[in-house]
Amino acid sequence: MTEKIGGKLIKFGDNVNTDVIIPGRYLVSIDPQELAKHAFEPLGPEVQKRLWVSQVVVGGKNFGCGSAREQAASCLIGAGIKAVLAKSFSRVFFRNCINTGLPAVECPEAAEVAADGGEIRIDLAQGRVDVQGKKFSFASYPESLKQILDAGGLIPYLAKYVLPQQEASKR
Amino acid sequence: MNMIEKILARASGRKAVAPDDVVVANVDCLLLHDLSGYLTGRVFEKEVRRPMRYPERVVMIFDHHFCPPSEEGALVLQENRAFARRHGINLFDCGNGNTHHVAVRNGFIRPGTVVVGSDSHTPIHGTVGCFATGLGNDSHAGTVMPFGKAWFKVPETIQVRLTGTHRPGVTPRDAALWLTGQIGEGGAIYKSLEFSGPYIEQLDFWDRWLFPHIVVDLGAKCGYIEPDEKTLAFVRTVTDKPFDAVRGDADRKFEATWEWDFSALEPQVTCPPTVGNVKQVDEVIGAPIQWAELGGHGGGRIEDFRLAARILKGRRVHRDARFNLVPSSRAVFTQAVREGLVELLHEAGATWFPPSTGSNQAYNMGAMTANEAMISTHARNFPGRNGNPNAKMYLASALTVAASAVAGKIADPRQFLKEF
Repeated sequence: MTEKIGGKLIKFGDNVNTDVIIPGRYLVSIDPQELAKHAFEPLGPEVQKRLWVSQVVVGGKNFGCGSAREQAASCLIGAGIKAVLAKSFSRVFFRNCINTGLPAVECPEAAEVAADGGEIRIDLAQGRVDVQGKKFSFASYPESLKQILDAGGLIPYLAKYVLPQQEASKR
Repeated sequence: MNMIEKILARASGRKAVAPDDVVVANVDCLLLHDLSGYLTGRVFEKEVRRPMRYPERVVMIFDHHFCPPSEEGALVLQENRAFARRHGINLFDCGNGNTHHVAVRNGFIRPGTVVVGSDSHTPIHGTVGCFATGLGNDSHAGTVMPFGKAWFKVPETIQVRLTGTHRPGVTPRDAALWLTGQIGEGGAIYKSLEFSGPYIEQLDFWDRWLFPHIVVDLGAKCGYIEPDEKTLAFVRTVTDKPFDAVRGDADRKFEATWEWDFSALEPQVTCPPTVGNVKQVDEVIGAPIQWAELGGHGGGRIEDFRLAARILKGRRVHRDARFNLVPSSRAVFTQAVREGLVELLHEAGATWFPPSTGSNQAYNMGAMTANEAMISTHARNFPGRNGNPNAKMYLASALTVAASAVAGKIADPRQFLKEF
């Protein structure tokens, strides 16, 4: 987990669903780079072009609602997105972000003032957001989630901490 | 403790749990469908590389495809089948029905258990008295398949207490659609919703099913109905296996109680572009539709075909509309044959499709152009799920769907019912 994340942001509204983030017909892939080509495709090529040069996705309420597809998180990683910040998240999307190693930050105040195309800085360790010249704070992750993000996602985390122990205990 | 807390406590070896506790619980059933199984399988075999701990608890159901229309689709199914065979998990191939209906009808979902799945509507199994929720590929491949476990944060619970008796022409699906509009998309993020009250108690199993069906689109983690004699009697018709049903304590606490009465409810139609855009039917009467469909997670029940038959008896599907009938399981189709519904609806101009999840995301059927619209019993109407992102999807009861198929445009079913 890179503790300080920053760059250009792309802003969306409330209730952005996973059919918009990555349409179902592309779910035959789990390759983040391949998926990134189709991220936000239903919103048109202009939005996609802006996505590909952004580092942070900012959403409104209930970001990532709808189908439980994990590719909704991994397509953003493939598109070069380093963090998602929203007023609130759909729980499966939030879980999928953590599991794929994409920081998902809930900070309604920062999401409100963020301006599309503007700059944003997120300090995950300190729980701080810097946007539009204003500073906001958010609750940092519980230790268990921090460990998963630090490892780069659930599978790398299990490979590092859990699977070797299981192997050892069998011996 | 309430039902969910008791189930999670038992599954994690604890005496008690409370909201916000994080527990590692034993998972009793993992549901995969044809769009998720092989992707989960790749992660499991390439990155986790451990044996499948409890293959008998894993169920893979092909429901988005019933007969692949392309080589790409055929390859997906081939990879799924090969994975299922390598690991000895349960496989229900094309033509068995919708993933959730097949799981219930084959006895995999039993009261008091923990059910997870890659379909976001997995919370529907709260109807059986389970703690059921959707996870993602990595959770399934990383913790459920190798260890039979998953971690959960215990959610706060809201009681949704429902009362009233419908007017004629109004059905439990109208009530569920209307509730979605009332609570709102994201109106219950991370919560558990307990549906109760005299309204819920008087419903039969498959009408109760329509309420836990909506919770994911409200943002909830799970939803449930406490199992009663009706639930247990139904479960005994699908499995001989023992189970230990759980009900909450009488003095259980809720974060909030929301109450609604359905006595004055009118038929409802969910309009594009999202499930929260719910209107009374009279606000959308006359909107053109080219397609009508009974199918999906909440549709394709025998109850839906009976309602459609009430409208179509002595009438025909409009010449400019197509009416798709998609049974949710083979058992439903058999029942429809026995009741004469197959012939009646076929002769009225509707088309029967194989048991599956129908036009859900248009994998095997249900693609539309920018100028087309469908009215259906499906769960979602988000743009782009059925072909062109400008195609419109309306959601309504089986009565309203059938009435619209007859009229060739959105219609109030009450104009076709005898009592009016």
